[in-house]
Amino acid sequence: MDGVITSIQRFSLNDGPGIRTTVFFKGCNLRCAWCHNPETFSLADDIMVDASKCIGCLHCVKVCPSGAQREIDGKHAFQRDLCTHCGACADVCFPGALEHTAKVMTCDDVMREVLQDKAYYLDSGGGVTLSGGEAMLQTDFAAEITAACHEHGIECAVETNLAYDLAPCEAVLRDFDLIMFDIKQMDSAQHKRWTGAGNETILANAKRMDGFARPMIARVPLIPGATDDMANLAATVDFLATLKNLRYLELLNFNPLGEAKYRCLALDNPFVTARPYSDQQMSDYQRALSGRGVEVRVG
Amino acid sequence: MMIQFINQYPADEEFSYEKRLRLLRERKLAQTQEKVEKQGELNQDDYGLVVPPDYFQFQITPNHPDGKFYGYSGWTENYTRLLGEHPLYCDPLDAFVGRGFFFLIWLRGFGWHPDYPYDELQKAFDKYNIISGIGRDHHLNPDITMGMQLGWGGILQKLEHYRGTHTAEHYEFYDSEIAVVKAIITFLRRIAGQLAELALIERNPTLRLNLSEMADINLRMADGAPQTMREAIQWMCWFSFFSRLYNRGSAGGQLDQMLLPYYEHDIAAGIIDDDDARFYLGCLFFNDSRYYQLGGPDKDGNDTTNHLSYLILEAADMVNIACNLTVRVHDKTDPVFMRKAVGYLFSNKNGWPRFTGDRALVEGFMRCGFSRDLARRRLASGCHWMSIPGMEYTLNDVVKINIAKVFEVAYQEMAAGAEQSVDKLYELFTKHLKAAVKATTDGIAFHLKYQDKNEPELILNLLSHGPIEKGLDLTKGATFFNMCVDGSGMATIADSFAACEQRIEREKRLSFAELTELLQTNFAGVEGEYRRQMLQHSERFCQGESLGDAWAVKITELFTGLVRAANDEHPGLNFIPGWFSWANTIEFGKKVGATPNGRQAGEPINHGANPHPGFRRDGAVTAMANSIAAIQPGYGNTAPVQLELDPALGDTPESLDKLVSMVRTLLNSGNTLLNINIIDEDKILAAHEDPSKYPDLVVRVTGFTAYFSMLSKDFRQLVVDRILSKRSA
Repeated sequence: MDGVITSIQRFSLNDGPGIRTTVFFKGCNLRCAWCHNPETFSLADDIMVDASKCIGCLHCVKVCPSGAQREIDGKHAFQRDLCTHCGACADVCFPGALEHTAKVMTCDDVMREVLQDKAYYLDSGGGVTLSGGEAMLQTDFAAEITAACHEHGIECAVETNLAYDLAPCEAVLRDFDLIMFDIKQMDSAQHKRWTGAGNETILANAKRMDGFARPMIARVPLIPGATDDMANLAATVDFLATLKNLRYLELLNFNPLGEAKYRCLALDNPFVTARPYSDQQMSDYQRALSGRGVEVRVG
Repeated sequence: MMIQFINQYPADEEFSYEKRLRLLRERKLAQTQEKVEKQGELNQDDYGLVVPPDYFQFQITPNHPDGKFYGYSGWTENYTRLLGEHPLYCDPLDAFVGRGFFFLIWLRGFGWHPDYPYDELQKAFDKYNIISGIGRDHHLNPDITMGMQLGWGGILQKLEHYRGTHTAEHYEFYDSEIAVVKAIITFLRRIAGQLAELALIERNPTLRLNLSEMADINLRMADGAPQTMREAIQWMCWFSFFSRLYNRGSAGGQLDQMLLPYYEHDIAAGIIDDDDARFYLGCLFFNDSRYYQLGGPDKDGNDTTNHLSYLILEAADMVNIACNLTVRVHDKTDPVFMRKAVGYLFSNKNGWPRFTGDRALVEGFMRCGFSRDLARRRLASGCHWMSIPGMEYTLNDVVKINIAKVFEVAYQEMAAGAEQSVDKLYELFTKHLKAAVKATTDGIAFHLKYQDKNEPELILNLLSHGPIEKGLDLTKGATFFNMCVDGSGMATIADSFAACEQRIEREKRLSFAELTELLQTNFAGVEGEYRRQMLQHSERFCQGESLGDAWAVKITELFTGLVRAANDEHPGLNFIPGWFSWANTIEFGKKVGATPNGRQAGEPINHGANPHPGFRRDGAVTAMANSIAAIQPGYGNTAPVQLELDPALGDTPESLDKLVSMVRTLLNSGNTLLNINIIDEDKILAAHEDPSKYPDLVVRVTGFTAYFSMLSKDFRQLVVDRILSKRSA
């Protein structure tokens, strides 16, 4: 079967244990305001436009069937609302000013890339991580990749937001060698404000998933003004302390690298001025949250 | 006449080893800055050289009408006179003396004896942009252990013994060597006397005692064999000095084996402790940036890492300058040592150590017909090369064929002909590469025939097995002639073939005629730039199972086959292929017009066996390493992986574990050599603007580490471009 992904990143060192290949699934059910991968939001092939790379060749205008790519006063312009996501423009834009955000791939396509680094996974205790977007929105595709990895003796992990109906995903979640999930806000209203959905499903799923007896790692993004108050963080740790299969909690620093992507997708970025915490601040958070029954690491 | 730093400190000042190393480091950095200011930019190793004093102006004595000197007599006369005049450099903080100012070969100039012309070969060298190696020297590993066992007195006796067993035709060799060794012994006795005089003058008791000890040691080392670790290192410092002063040569050896007997002796006798050992080793690194291997298998495959290996790493960490240390990674490498080595690479960000892959190197060298034991004794010795101490003549890292130029010649012939296709292009490339390899290997044979008339290896002969016994220069008397033949520009050409196949023949986006016009106009205009980008974004080398990767393998098989076939033409010579460019990427690039991979005219060719920057969007190290593993020429020489990594990658114990695993897997997957720069990107960009702000910033340029400030602007730009390319990906 086919799946839709945004990219595959090899030699990934921050998405689980060891050296990994991370497969970024496209499409997400949340809209976290600080997300640094906004190109994964929708399933459609939204075109990213980086005007700084445009050389003015206008080849995109010639191939665009909808008039979204156009010439104004001899220069390139893009009218996004006319775009039908066919991707023809990005296919001919070799300078890289226009880029696809979606690739339709088969499991074999993904595995062709994954298998090239098998020796590195085995030596380092690494493997493959399905990330996103939300991998569980393409449950069957995720299941197929997981099975293929296992056939080749490669461990497979998932990074998931748990904000979905768990029942259809249970079988595949039980197959992962490691489940990494996010807890962003313990206050449901705040959760809804920042991500578009309440947290009840997530918390219930985390509890239920604990029963799968799979190793779990919780990840808590530290977002200035959104998740970083101590009351929320302490409540998060106390909740996580109830999970038997949790290995540890990882504090993730705010990642500002999404800014360029927001610009290229013409999306508003509410965190455009936010900056990451210093190493010292991250250590302070780590210390402040330790001693509550869960190991706290800085990711 | 001497450079000395006597009475620089009050009599009551106290000195710890740590303080002495710190002060020596400060002086070293100031000297680096002085070298840049007075001597300009240097794209090569540091060699531990200092700026000579103004009063020391050595004038060479020519023995040829062209104003240069040649052969045994010319080199012997000039070298022995230079030793007689060379001032002592003495720092009372240092455990050793032995710093130099320049090399005699620089004063005389590289070059070839004009009485032995090679005009026909030169035409091919020019046509294919070949660095032929004719008139170049050594790039081999001397047997320093043998030298330390004999001492200069023992070497002199050996020479006199073998002179007595040979006929008059060898007397020129022996008489020259004997004159050189006698001059060395005389020089060392003078130095010992000068050190004793300085000891009488120095007011600080710690430094006075140090000078007095150095005087004693140097007197003993004038003709004696070292007994202690300090004597052994002093002997090594002077050997470095003598060989550098002559013609820059050569490499170090396996440091944790060479010094082990002396270290163990001193520890057993209670002469030194580990603090003393670390201090001596730190001073050795200030003396010279010589290449040393650490660890590796013994003859039975067991790991040779020992306590001294750890002390060497710790000493290098204490001085933290440009240290050319290489850890040899094999199946039984001590994992704790490995982790410590990778840790220093990330914590110091100074390009050391680097790592060699024992498995591929040993299996490759055995493919040449050598035993496993000899293959294991072939040590990491230079920028990208290996050598068995004292047993090989190699010209490693000297001979280079610019295969991007060979490709250009082939392309132009195809463009002028009737048939234009990838098959035809490859057929012509094969023809011209064959001609280039033939000219190169013929050139090496020519060099070996006449080099002793030009520049005999008067110093390295002494620490080699064969020359003294046979009464012949290394170029005729070495045990093995394993001649290095490197190709440069492989990725440029693999990507070019891939671009032609993909864009012209598969996708039919343009014709060869259009491509030829693009190359001739250097991709002029907006449409030219568009098509350049199209070609550049073809399936490239190091993307992983790409068209570029397939072409790289095909070109490697072709090049390797042609180089190995030259053995049949030259019995007794073993030509070993490699992919390496050293610092020639810029000069080679200037000689080649635009290429079908979208490279513009005059831009650098690819570096070593690396891809062109921007080869993959994620820049995956693993993809690059796998592709480079697949294009190893496979006969014991290297095609290195050169990585640039962000320091943040190694900032936690977990991430360091991942990087240790990366290094181990990369080398166990067929790779031969790994150089890593930990790039503090902002610092390098700032240093590019004003190099004097960061005199201590060291980068691994190619095989060697160098102070960033000492690189030419072109070379600094190359490092900066690699960073910018990563940032824009």
